[in-house]
Amino acid sequence: MSDHDHTHSHKPAPMVDEVSDFEILEMAVRELAIEKGLFSADDHRRWTEYVHTLGPLPAARLVAKAWLDPEYKKLCVADGVEASKAVGVNWVTSPPTQFGTPSDYCNLRVLEDTPKVKHVVVCTLCSCYPRPILGQSPEWYRTPNYRRRLVRWPRQVLAEFGLQLSPDVEIRVGDSNQKTRYIVMPVRPEGTEGWTEDQLAEIVTRDCLIGVAVPKPGVTSNAKRPVRKAIHPVHHDHDH
Amino acid sequence: MSKSQHDRTHHAKIATGIGDPQCFKGQAGTPKFKEGDRVRIKDLPDIFYTRTMTYTRGAVGTVAKLVYESPPAEDEAWDNTDKSEWFYSVVFKQKELWPEYADLYANDSLETEFSERWLEKA
Repeated sequence: MSDHDHTHSHKPAPMVDEVSDFEILEMAVRELAIEKGLFSADDHRRWTEYVHTLGPLPAARLVAKAWLDPEYKKLCVADGVEASKAVGVNWVTSPPTQFGTPSDYCNLRVLEDTPKVKHVVVCTLCSCYPRPILGQSPEWYRTPNYRRRLVRWPRQVLAEFGLQLSPDVEIRVGDSNQKTRYIVMPVRPEGTEGWTEDQLAEIVTRDCLIGVAVPKPGVTSNAKRPVRKAIHPVHHDHDH
Repeated sequence: MSKSQHDRTHHAKIATGIGDPQCFKGQAGTPKFKEGDRVRIKDLPDIFYTRTMTYTRGAVGTVAKLVYESPPAEDEAWDNTDKSEWFYSVVFKQKELWPEYADLYANDSLETEFSERWLEKA
């Protein structure tokens, strides 16, 4: 169809952002809650600010500490909430609510991998994730595709992430469908002998903590990427 | 739970400084199952809300851990926190959940949680 077929005048597109139905629903409920006095607009802002400070570093630190300290590892496996305090996360009092987060609760289990058992985590319901210690979940973690396929075809999904596991390794999927949140404690990789806690924490990336990857020496989330020179570089006047 | 003036800050009041599910500790009585018990997931009706996934209904697994006490999700969704139940982490063989799962990977498993009302002795 040609642009010249229609006769009406061209109007500029309205200057609005696209907002989904769910975002509108969230705003409506939030405004009603503020009007009812359940929380204030400032509470909401403070909460959003808190959420944006979170990331996977405390969980990476927890795993690195556990690799170095067998007693701490035992605590991690027995009581993840208590073990989190050593890496600066108090599941109850770190969030501004002072009673944990409304959807993540205060129950963390650290799933310990062994050479024969590999854990991987999903929430088939929607998006439960140990946010106080791991930050916001990646977009793919919340997709129906990942959620419905991981429980049923875990080996195939892990292979898509580049993780191929031998048939004699048991894959154990953790589905966080109630009040427990999970992180995975991977096996400490070879080639890290004598490393410090800082060095070890660097290779425990977010995906290793979800279980779709395993840590490798030299592979970190903040590694320098190679810079390729442009084939036809742009020449700027101010260069001359 | 039909209160004409429902207190919507009720949860905050019981959980502040303690956490959830910690605030329900000691309220569920004696647990019916213990670690290592074989259990079948009941296929109960879920008219309004549930967190018990369809793929686990009717399957038999092993109790791996008693995890906490809490009102079940089906009640808590309506802010009914009057009665807590024990929650269990149950491990299933993948083959039990998905009959077509490859025999080559017979050891693969899945772990997830249920409140006591969903479990029966297998």
